[in-house]
Amino acid sequence: MQEPVTQATEALLTAKSLSKHYKDVVALDNVNLGITEGITGILGENGAGKSTVIKIFLGLLQPTSGSATVLGENVSENVHVRARLGYMPEHDCLPTNVSAAEFLTHMAEVSGLPPSRARTRAADTLRHAGLFEERYRAMGGYSTGMKQRVKLAQALVHDPVMVFLDEPTAGLDPAGREDMLDLVRKTHREFGISVLFSSHLMSDVERTCDRIVLLQGGHVIQSGDVEHFTSETATVFIEVDANRDRLVEALERRGVVVTSDGHGLAVEGPDESVYDLLRDALVEAEAPLRRLAPRRRALTELFERDGDDFSAGGVG
Amino acid sequence: MSDANTQQFEGTVFDIGYQRYTGPREGRWRARYAVYKDGVRNALGLGRSARAKILPWLFIGVLVAIALIMALVAGATQRFIGPDAPEQLGLPSHSDYYGIASILIFVFAAIGAPELLCPDRRNGTINLYLVRPLTGSDYVIARWAAFFTVMTFVAWVPQLVLLIGLVMGGSDSVAYIREHWLDIPHLLLSGMAIAAYATTLAMFVASFTTRRAYASVFLIGLFVITTPFTTGLAMELAEDVEGTAGQWVSMFNLSNIPVHVNDLIFGEVSEITSVAPAGEFPAWLLIGWYFLWTIVPGGLLWARYRKLTP
Repeated sequence: MQEPVTQATEALLTAKSLSKHYKDVVALDNVNLGITEGITGILGENGAGKSTVIKIFLGLLQPTSGSATVLGENVSENVHVRARLGYMPEHDCLPTNVSAAEFLTHMAEVSGLPPSRARTRAADTLRHAGLFEERYRAMGGYSTGMKQRVKLAQALVHDPVMVFLDEPTAGLDPAGREDMLDLVRKTHREFGISVLFSSHLMSDVERTCDRIVLLQGGHVIQSGDVEHFTSETATVFIEVDANRDRLVEALERRGVVVTSDGHGLAVEGPDESVYDLLRDALVEAEAPLRRLAPRRRALTELFERDGDDFSAGGVG
Repeated sequence: MSDANTQQFEGTVFDIGYQRYTGPREGRWRARYAVYKDGVRNALGLGRSARAKILPWLFIGVLVAIALIMALVAGATQRFIGPDAPEQLGLPSHSDYYGIASILIFVFAAIGAPELLCPDRRNGTINLYLVRPLTGSDYVIARWAAFFTVMTFVAWVPQLVLLIGLVMGGSDSVAYIREHWLDIPHLLLSGMAIAAYATTLAMFVASFTTRRAYASVFLIGLFVITTPFTTGLAMELAEDVEGTAGQWVSMFNLSNIPVHVNDLIFGEVSEITSVAPAGEFPAWLLIGWYFLWTIVPGGLLWARYRKLTP
């Protein structure tokens, strides 16, 4: 297995005061971004500007104002830089009458690889994507999961520095989705290729990405490491085997806010002293302790606070 | 039990994992050439299923068969009547071939050209091309060049078969070549003219739809149905109405436009255009009309794809 690539701090993608208007519709408004190596998730509801950002970085759209650079180059002025980028679109993009091996060889050549190298890369990439056995079958007969794998493989066949994945788990069943997320993680951790992952499924992003950028209405609302957003909170989760009501009373007498959370209790304290208060209350209520853990924030909670509509439709 | 002299070897397959690509990257020219090569393969069904090969090779076969029949008839006439008999009897030769076969060549273009543009847009594959080191202009020029190559092949091969047949059919091959050597540059130039016209018009129409069948049916209608309609109307107008109305209607016979140019290249009027009133127009107008019908659709086709990338 190859060593994971060392994290670098310089940005692979940079957006400065980036705006994109379609007549009266503002798709992006003064967006500033710096995306470094690793797996970065772009989250947002439909129409938030995710696809517009990706298309500007790929050179398919010209920004109304501001600048977007990829690997230090303006991609719409220098098409050669696209040889180092990969793109997996959300929608169908595969011809039905050719085999995956032939299609990937062709795509590698279109990315600038000589034919003999393109053939080797196509076979290797399909093996890594888990499609080695089926590579000579016409793609018209592939399942949705297999097509998604070919779409990812064609984005990787020329060994890009960065790959853009637009909703890579769309249309997949739970097992297929897990496999695809594994492949996405492998793409960076084993292959050393950075990933920009656009999704409206927060759980996918939370489990796969190192960093997130939250877009809403063409604005960047939040961005940062996923760990930061899912960090420990001052709330403690506790489960007891008996005397639950006595424990709630004992805690409330000590001025602690207690709420029911499934089988357990969420205890919100002012600071670290909540653990001392809990210990005393457990002793007083004679409640046998089964589980006690600091509660972690989930990305969904973050969006419930910051974007009402988004959380409603977007939680996967 | 194994023989004491027999050694057993155990092989192990190592997974060396993902390997970074460190070879050459040949950039935009390689990308253009890859799209061109893929276009040629698609148009001829090379590397595709047997079904994909049937139509293109059937048309090529029929076009070659027409040339072969022309060569056999000319050869037999030379042998049994005399060396100058084909010309004295007015048997069709190189200058007449495109007039006779133009409809088949246009139907081939109508079926083949949409194959190069429509599926890429219908399947969304165009999005994968345009995020690589390739612009919309690069893509459409490579596709046009691919189909132009195929059309030139389709136009030249039967003429070359006819030439070989005429050379071999006569009693004195060297004398035939000495007398008719100018036919070679003429047929090559004329073949390219008909190929450029058919390629451009067919690809322009194909750029408006994602469905191959719609483009093919429209093109066949354009080439085939306009021919009897404009021929009949033009001849009536030429006889009954004073002025150039008949000639102008005849100019809209789309399958005749490159045949008039063919006539000018060979310096003789072919069978099919001998009855077309448009043939009475001066050469500059016929050539200008040909370029108008080639350059304008070509420019519009290029403009449609150029705007796909900023």
